[in-house]
Amino acid sequence: MWSDLRFRLRALFRREALEDELDDELQFHLDQQIEKGVRAGLSRDEAARRARLAFGTLDHAREECRDARGTRLLDHARQDLVYALRILRRSPAFASLAVASLAAGIGAATAVFVVLHTVVMQSLPVPDPDRLVVLQARRHGERFVLFNPVFEAIQRDQRVLSGMAAVSDDPFLPVALDSTEPLAYMPTSRVSGSYFDVLGVSASPGRTLTDADDVPGGPCTAVISHGLWVRRFGQRPSVVGAHLRVRDTVCTVVGVAPPEFRSHQGGYAPDLWLPLRAMTSRELLQNHHLAFFSGVIGRLRDGVDRTAAERVLTARYRQVLAGEPEGELPPGVRPARPSDYTLALLPGAQGLGVVRNEFGRSLWIVFGVAVVFLLIAAINVGTLLLARGTARTTELATRAALGAGRSRLIRQLATEGAVLAIIGGTLGIVLAWTMTPILARAISMPYFTVVLEPGASLASSIGVAGLIAIVVILAGVLPAWRLSRVEVHPSVAASGRTTTRGGQRLARRLVVVQLALALLLVSVAGLLVQTLVHLRGVDPGFRPESVLVLEVQHETLRPEPADAPKAIRKQTLATKYDQLARQLNAIPGVRSAALSWLELFGGSDLGLTTYRPDRPDVRNYAHTDLVSPMYFETVGMHIVAGRSFTDADRAGAVPVAVINETLARQWFRDVSPLGRTLTLEYTSDQQPPFTVVGIVRDSKYNGLREDRTEPMVWMPLAQWPFEIRAVVLRVQAGAEPHVARDARARLAELDSSLMVRKETTLRDQVDQTMAREQLLLNLASAAGLLAVLVAAVGLYGTLAYAVVQRRREFGIRMAVGADRGRVLRLVMRDAVLVAVLGGTLGLPLAVAAGYACRAFLFGVTPTDATTLFGACAILGAVIAAASYLPARQASAVEPTVALRYE
Amino acid sequence: MAPKSDLLQGTLDLLILRTLALEPQHGWAVAERLQQISSDVLRVQQGSLYPALHRLERRGWIKARWGTSENNRRAKYYELTAAGRKQLERETRAWRKLVGAVAEVLGTS
Repeated sequence: MWSDLRFRLRALFRREALEDELDDELQFHLDQQIEKGVRAGLSRDEAARRARLAFGTLDHAREECRDARGTRLLDHARQDLVYALRILRRSPAFASLAVASLAAGIGAATAVFVVLHTVVMQSLPVPDPDRLVVLQARRHGERFVLFNPVFEAIQRDQRVLSGMAAVSDDPFLPVALDSTEPLAYMPTSRVSGSYFDVLGVSASPGRTLTDADDVPGGPCTAVISHGLWVRRFGQRPSVVGAHLRVRDTVCTVVGVAPPEFRSHQGGYAPDLWLPLRAMTSRELLQNHHLAFFSGVIGRLRDGVDRTAAERVLTARYRQVLAGEPEGELPPGVRPARPSDYTLALLPGAQGLGVVRNEFGRSLWIVFGVAVVFLLIAAINVGTLLLARGTARTTELATRAALGAGRSRLIRQLATEGAVLAIIGGTLGIVLAWTMTPILARAISMPYFTVVLEPGASLASSIGVAGLIAIVVILAGVLPAWRLSRVEVHPSVAASGRTTTRGGQRLARRLVVVQLALALLLVSVAGLLVQTLVHLRGVDPGFRPESVLVLEVQHETLRPEPADAPKAIRKQTLATKYDQLARQLNAIPGVRSAALSWLELFGGSDLGLTTYRPDRPDVRNYAHTDLVSPMYFETVGMHIVAGRSFTDADRAGAVPVAVINETLARQWFRDVSPLGRTLTLEYTSDQQPPFTVVGIVRDSKYNGLREDRTEPMVWMPLAQWPFEIRAVVLRVQAGAEPHVARDARARLAELDSSLMVRKETTLRDQVDQTMAREQLLLNLASAAGLLAVLVAAVGLYGTLAYAVVQRRREFGIRMAVGADRGRVLRLVMRDAVLVAVLGGTLGLPLAVAAGYACRAFLFGVTPTDATTLFGACAILGAVIAAASYLPARQASAVEPTVALRYE
Repeated sequence: MAPKSDLLQGTLDLLILRTLALEPQHGWAVAERLQQISSDVLRVQQGSLYPALHRLERRGWIKARWGTSENNRRAKYYELTAAGRKQLERETRAWRKLVGAVAEVLGTS
């Protein structure tokens, strides 16, 4: 075995030396034989003749010896490679186009695949990830939430899971790593004590959290991420036992998570894990109506399968719910019986899936686009090789006649495609290297980032290898297989005009497929362009240009003392905000500034029940926000009747509100709502009715795709002093940077607990909601554009070669009287046929692709005639351009020259 | 072309191994020896000897080294390895069995 391998390797790498040795050995043999003959009395010449006769053909023996070395295949591969490289060097334009298109295709597909794999397919780096489950409560089959008391009741006495753990992610928790440092936001997770056990993750150095840490009111302990340990603690083992501050709580570090472990879900990498119950207020822990879990994970006990566990847990869940106090139901929600609830166990190998759910589908589509593009590029190379191969038929026929086996021919031809595929693949991988991080950034959400694991993606490498293999087959083997079927007719070969019509036919079919796929990409790009145009055309109901947004959060260092009278606290807040609003409005470069409780297009939402005091039985939901004066002016909402808020709308004054047109229509169909009253129901605080003072034009709330406007009501922050979440500033052009700086300074001066989470613009907030569509469009249109180019080159290549092939035919046709126009039409007819077939095949594909990404379309349907027609038109124009040149060439054939050429 | 005596597949290998079992030899000597001991019955095309030698070397049954011949020339000598010796025994046994079986058949018919 070993000697065999050594022998073969030596044969492979010391080829020259072996050849010399072989020559020496055989020469020695012949010399000996001649000597023998001479000794027997023969003349030297005769002895040499007999020696050779006894030996047999020297070359034959040599060849057999090479065979015996077991490297013949490789030897041939080497010859093929050298030959292929020589051929490719002779046509640099073709070679570079082929390599570039393959590199682009492989690069894009690989980059998308790596991200897709990381986000969608990769299992958590924990032991036995397949035994993990995600517990998902459902009501009437729809996602529902698990409240902590219910979770604890189930956790306490279930037996089908070896453990279950609740997780509450907080990407923004103010943490200081030592006493001198100011608080800074850090991504964190609060987790049940069983969390690390369930996942099967251990800490080093130190220990993980356990149930003993997870005690209501207990001391705070923390596990830190390996990354944080490296970044901030210089990997000192003494970090165990160190203290850090989380808000105003001092936490003791008990351990460091392993380097490969990020968290319970792809895309989220907290730096701190804290015990859930120790770090959550008792009120929240005991609350039966407020959910604060990001999710619940569990690990199946050995021998228990998922469906069985699901049955048991659902039964237990219903039992617990039956004993729960009847909660107040939000209006419009029908009361549910315990049997309406289920506790689903979803496969949890990949953990919870925020990014996965958000971007999984678009990533699959992008991957599809990249793969389709790669197919086009590969087919293109195959087509061109085929076309060129067809022109080489005479050579092939000659070689076949000389005794080259078919498989040998196939291998030799396929090598050319393979060389292109491998060079393209190598460049593609380099390209993927640079593209992957960019793509990962593009799909990361503000709170969740795609963490690419360096080098960990074996599956990705396999994927890439698979892609390259497909390319090699399409670009090399397929045409080679077809071309090798040359008819060896001596007469034909002699005339130098072997026609492999078969090769031409296959090339043409491939061009048809290419065109069909290009049509698909172009029409998908078209649908996405239309989607974006429509989305951008949507009037949000406000003017997002030149508006700075600071997302802020009151980071209270300790829970507010319960004994401080609420009214006083609220009054302090109101005064503070009043002051802040004035200061912000005084910043140079600010046209107007305002504060708001919620953030426009920030994804937050609060619906409260409203009713008319005179008709208390009819109740309705309304989105509610609390804002300072100047809010409508700042975000650019239009007051259609009445007024906006003023400084006079303060505590003690008449409670007022501004409503939108939809709410106005809902409650005051036929009368003017101005001066009328409405009541807002807010738990625990029974508020007096408020008077409507203004009506605002309908606007979007959280997304441009909202198809119907919700009723909305705004009330003055001064009358409802709740902690604000957003500061908005309409600024003069160019003043943004210094205004942002000044605004931050004002905030810090006013209240150091008011921390800025994010600085953005309203435009960006709005655009953010189109990020996925934009990403899809960018990739699809780039792919579409390249695909059209590549397909055009493919078409041009086949037609041009066909023209060269048929030069004599054209010459004869013209010699017998066909005019140039006729020959031109002859070639164009070919092109038109290919185009029509491509369209016939491509249109259904395009429609199917449109349906596949229907979820992203807006204002356009997958069968949109304009898009399909446009795509056909673009492709048609390109086809016309690509076929005109060869047609011109054909018609320019000089009959005398063409015939003499033969 | 002289009529070749069709050597059974593997027979040449056996003969080479047997020849080399006596002492290390170079290719030409092996050819000569084969001819001598088979009393010219087996006419091996000399050229086909070398692929066989190389194949046996690859299998690890014989090994080659360069030495000096009796007339002072550089020559490639082959010798049997331990594995080759075992192989020779195995093949000899198999051959005897085959010959015995064939003789049996011929004898009884």
